[in-house]
Amino acid sequence: MTDRVAAAADPAPAAAESRAEVDVRPARAVLRADRRRSAVGFSMALPPVLLIMLFVGLPVVLAIGFSLGMTGGLNSVAAAIGQDVYEAEGLVTFDAYRQLFADPRFTRDLAATVLVTVATTLITLGLAIGIAVHLRLRGGWAGTLLSSLGVVPLFVPVVIASWAILTFYSGDGFLRSVFAQLGLEGPTFGFTVPGVIIASVWVNLPFALLMASSGMQGVPDALIDAARDAGASTLTIVARVLAPLAGIPLVIAATFTAIGVLGQFTVPYFTGPNAPQQLGVDISKYFQAFNRPQQAAAIAVVVFLVASGVAALYVWANFRSAKDEGRV
Amino acid sequence: MALLLRRAGGRVLAAVLILLVAGFILGPLIWLGMHAFATSWTYPNLLPDGLTLEWWRVVFADPDLFASMRNTLFFAPLTVLVSAVVCLPAAYAFSRFSFPGRRVFLVGLFATNAFPKMGLFVSMATVFYGLNLMETALGILVVHVIGTVVFMTWIPAAAFASVPRSLEEAARDAGAGRFRVFFTVTLPLALPGILVAAVMSFLASFDEAQGTYLIGAPTYMTMPTEMYSLVLNFPKQVAAVFAILLSIPSVVLLLLTRKHIMGGQLAEGFQLR
Repeated sequence: MTDRVAAAADPAPAAAESRAEVDVRPARAVLRADRRRSAVGFSMALPPVLLIMLFVGLPVVLAIGFSLGMTGGLNSVAAAIGQDVYEAEGLVTFDAYRQLFADPRFTRDLAATVLVTVATTLITLGLAIGIAVHLRLRGGWAGTLLSSLGVVPLFVPVVIASWAILTFYSGDGFLRSVFAQLGLEGPTFGFTVPGVIIASVWVNLPFALLMASSGMQGVPDALIDAARDAGASTLTIVARVLAPLAGIPLVIAATFTAIGVLGQFTVPYFTGPNAPQQLGVDISKYFQAFNRPQQAAAIAVVVFLVASGVAALYVWANFRSAKDEGRV
Repeated sequence: MALLLRRAGGRVLAAVLILLVAGFILGPLIWLGMHAFATSWTYPNLLPDGLTLEWWRVVFADPDLFASMRNTLFFAPLTVLVSAVVCLPAAYAFSRFSFPGRRVFLVGLFATNAFPKMGLFVSMATVFYGLNLMETALGILVVHVIGTVVFMTWIPAAAFASVPRSLEEAARDAGAGRFRVFFTVTLPLALPGILVAAVMSFLASFDEAQGTYLIGAPTYMTMPTEMYSLVLNFPKQVAAVFAILLSIPSVVLLLLTRKHIMGGQLAEGFQLR
């Protein structure tokens, strides 16, 4: 069903049709050519899909099965080595999940992860929109400088970024040094949840900024001028004109940020506290330190479920925009 | 008067905003960079106690660190190359052909991002044990290429799609063959997008640490995986030197491709079609 919709959205068949009108070839030959094109396209698209299916799809399915107590096949090694592995008597068992959710540390970590994700997404988007609006409405060297600054983190490896931010906000870091110079006691964000949020915003800002500014550059000047002539304030223009028209790129930015932060490992590993811990770090802790591979898999599945909800939002927004533009 | 005041207020606001953003973004990097040249540092001084290049000697004299640099500079370009060979034909197909499963494939490639990386690597290891890929260069290459697939299909697909069909048809009418049209018209026009995808893939490979560590350690250590142990085992200054070294290729890439990335090639690539 979706394929037919996609096919209708694609300009390729339309072009083929228009060619068919002037073509003197019998319809069957055109149809055959179309079918051949479709086969060529399919086989060209196949390599990355197969790669992903083998090395991402299969492991994900294995992990989901393992978390549900399917301990046979490729999972048997991990099941034999690991501790507290629940084996399904019938088809599946939810014991691993039951054990996880009975542990208050897990629910606390889950809550902290969701909090960090929501806060990071909101702050990142707010910053990105602010800079993009500045660039769109005021422009000039200030706008260029701001947007150039905002893209810098894209080019800094996350390991380095996390560590740099940790030293900057740690007990003997820059922030506290400045406060101490003024005779004040500054806050320590190293190894705290706010520290994780700060670092996550830092890491995720460039992508959100690029999406936001690309979306807003696409808004025609005439619309902004018309709103301004009608007496709209800058705030109104942002809220009523720029943000809605750049809606899809903003949704894309938000979903990518949220999904990235939900499962991130490096940033909280360096900058985060031991308690509450982010789930990305929990996965590796349960796997390596606690030797509980099944629980690690179960945590991964929980993160996956939350992220899938966010991803669904992204796909929905894209379909809606395609519909608005008459592509579907 | 009120207008003048408002305008001045806007200026001040802009200046404050720039200072805040600059401090937020560049502050940690500068603070870290200064450590690479510091003999020692006493809290709460804002400057180091003295300057030295000693830590750079330490890094270059350590064979492990040097080997990790070599590994990184081996894997990152190779990843880009393999990823391009695997993904670019697909990107072209996504933009120019309609076939059953097109949209499912596109969304499926993206959906791989939704599963947390750490969980993925852990269960990827099970598959790798089965295929004898643990602690092999090929295994690491697979991990790195997996992380680049979305960039290498989506961004070039958008770039190919933005090449006007009329140009291709004009070339065809002038008598150019299918491949000639592709190499003289389509490819050059799509090149900025492909370049951005290549840079993003290079950075993704350059950045990959968790999977490389799980699959490759201790036989293959790359710069980011080495960074993990550095931070814990060496003085802060050594890690700072290493961090600067690790950032150099990225900064060079930033300067070379800034125009295209800021120009919307990246943003364009992430809008599903």
